[in-house]
Amino acid sequence: MSDKPKIRVATAWLGGCSGCHMSFLDLDERLIELSKLVELTASPITDVKEIPEVDVGIVEGAVCTDENEHVLRTMRARCKVLVAIGDCAVTGNIPALRNQFLLEDVVARGFIETESTQIGEMPNDPVVPRLLKRVRPIHELVKVDAYIPGCPPDADTIWYALTELLAGRAPNWDERTFSYD
Amino acid sequence: MIAPKQITVTIDGQKCVGDEGQTVLQIATANHIYIPTLCYLKHLSSWGGCRMCIVEIAGSPKVVPSCATPAVDGTNYSANNDRLRQLRRLTLELLFSERNHICPFCPTNHGDCELQQQGYRHGMDSVRYPYLYPALPVDTSGEYFALDHNRCILCTRCVRVCDEIEGVHTLDVAFRGEKNRVVVDLNGTFGASDTCTNCGACVAACPTGALFDKAAAFRGKLNTCQVVRTTCTECPVGCGLLVFTKENRIVEVFGDHDSKVSLGHLCARGRYETWAVPRERIVQPMIRTIHALKPVSWQQALREIARIRGKLDATQTALLVSPRITNEAAKAVARVAARFGKVGMFVARDESALCEAGTGALEGTNSLSNADAIIVLGAQPSRTHGVLAAKIRNAVRRRRAKLLVFHAHKSDLDQHADICANIVSLEHVFWDRVAEALKNVKRPALVYGAAAMTPIGVTVMARLIQILESNPSRHAPVLIPLPTSTNSQAVAAAGVEPVEDVAPWLDAQPLQYLHIIASDEPDGGARLFEEKPVRVLLERIDCVVVQASYQSELTEAARIVLPAAMWSEKSGTVTNIEGRELPLQSVLTPRGEAREDARILGELVS
Repeated sequence: MSDKPKIRVATAWLGGCSGCHMSFLDLDERLIELSKLVELTASPITDVKEIPEVDVGIVEGAVCTDENEHVLRTMRARCKVLVAIGDCAVTGNIPALRNQFLLEDVVARGFIETESTQIGEMPNDPVVPRLLKRVRPIHELVKVDAYIPGCPPDADTIWYALTELLAGRAPNWDERTFSYD
Repeated sequence: MIAPKQITVTIDGQKCVGDEGQTVLQIATANHIYIPTLCYLKHLSSWGGCRMCIVEIAGSPKVVPSCATPAVDGTNYSANNDRLRQLRRLTLELLFSERNHICPFCPTNHGDCELQQQGYRHGMDSVRYPYLYPALPVDTSGEYFALDHNRCILCTRCVRVCDEIEGVHTLDVAFRGEKNRVVVDLNGTFGASDTCTNCGACVAACPTGALFDKAAAFRGKLNTCQVVRTTCTECPVGCGLLVFTKENRIVEVFGDHDSKVSLGHLCARGRYETWAVPRERIVQPMIRTIHALKPVSWQQALREIARIRGKLDATQTALLVSPRITNEAAKAVARVAARFGKVGMFVARDESALCEAGTGALEGTNSLSNADAIIVLGAQPSRTHGVLAAKIRNAVRRRRAKLLVFHAHKSDLDQHADICANIVSLEHVFWDRVAEALKNVKRPALVYGAAAMTPIGVTVMARLIQILESNPSRHAPVLIPLPTSTNSQAVAAAGVEPVEDVAPWLDAQPLQYLHIIASDEPDGGARLFEEKPVRVLLERIDCVVVQASYQSELTEAARIVLPAAMWSEKSGTVTNIEGRELPLQSVLTPRGEAREDARILGELVS
């Protein structure tokens, strides 16, 4: 093993389906190769919650709640390079569909008017994150250094982007290397 | 014609030769230099709205849309450099941020979307403008297609194709600024539109998922489909089809731009009715028992037919065929004709003379695009031959050709006509008006249908030709006969007698056995048996065998039913109204045990 210090990486899962993290795990045996180069700190995969100072922060999901925003801003403050992974982080994608409607209507539809709900109630416990009026892609709140679009980006796309970033280059996206779905 | 002057320009350092008047984009494309486009379509007028095809002109600080800029001799253009690439990416980001272009659940996702492709090509990994998320409606009221304003980039390709190719101008744009939207009629819906012909040209022209075919949505990406070129057999115009298939099912049908007849256009019948409308298919041979039709093997069915026919004299048997059969099947019919007492082809009223008159002039349909006067006599192309009607509308609307309609029934071509009259009520003064209208006409075309073959129709036609020939210019019209059935002229030419009135034909001699080849007529051809209910007509015949693709009144009256291949499962040729022999390419393997008409006939007599 080389003595070169490992690159410290943290990942976060905001408003999204975790599909991008699943796709990351699809790297399969390449994860072993990656683990020689990087140290994965806080992440839904390691179940470490507190984000330490890291070199690379990878964020999945759109910003839907005040908690999402808090995590995103923490990540930005503690990482040198911030990577948006997946269409939710990059464009807002499916979570952002609710932006066409008023937040009150969306919540009422989900908690009161659902066909299977008998006596509905608006969630109001203070520990429950507050929904923001609008769902936003992460670059509308913080500076993002690199994007990996895709819903989810497949393992090959993630591998290409990570290896390019680890080599100190920006991914060169064209019709062969990425997709929006 | 005078050949246009040749010009030489430089595009991206490459010397390119083109014609004076050609746009920069046309010359670049002809010289294999790629310039990205979105609102441009080769067969439509240039609009220059999307700004994807911008180029730089040496010495000018401005960029110009190459699709709308005529090339100037000796000029140096840049079509691809970092500045243009950046500008195009900004344009794309503006388009993506304006409406809800969310790829993962779009019907044209996966490579069928030109907007998406341009995003990839320009490395657009994110959008730097804030997304607007407008709340936009989706019009799903149309019979075959839907309009999702969320996906629309206002390229107006649909508007232009509706106006310039189909010639009905159902679509247009309304409202201003960010409220700008494609509208159907006067801000109506497809479902309520009485101008929309359902030709689907707008859907084929749409670069995104804004207009999509309901039957094709989410059924497979087109760029992974097999594509087969074949000919539409819904009417005798013979338009070219591009059929997209996956796993032996049709995903989409588009017009073939290489077709010499239709030039890529289709009507609702060819584009949708043949595959997007569910029909009850016959998938195996059946023999009637006391209760119902019972599935049997081909061998059992053929043996039963042979047993019945063995007991009969040939004169007690008859063969009645649909005009939709291929030329090869028509030849097979002619070969077995001697084995039957008589052989006939059922055709619409007054159409037998039309079948026997032979096909019209080669290039007849395209001559409509050049004609300065079009006479429609006793035909309803807008109802039955949509692509021809589109050509007529365009000649009138875009080139101010004169249109004279002599009809037996009203049609929507009437509104475009200079003179429009009922064929049976023509008076002397009227003919003066016709002569006046046709004076100095140089390139007349005469489209005539079955009603032109009635005694009054024949008189009117003779009078019209006389008027045209007594003109000082003496130009004889291009004649375009317009039967309603697909291949009736070629089947008649193969020696099969057209039968307009099936009842007396059947009653002429006592029949014990009748074999009907209904082919893939949507209703089994029952609509052509006008006079009496089919059941009454057929109940006097001991054994009726129906060879058909779909269930119908005919199969209900049959004793034996044989499954026939439908249009997409046939190969061979059909002859169109211009006498062109057009290829039918089998697109799918026949469903169930269905077989092609010619093969079934061969097995019947072997």
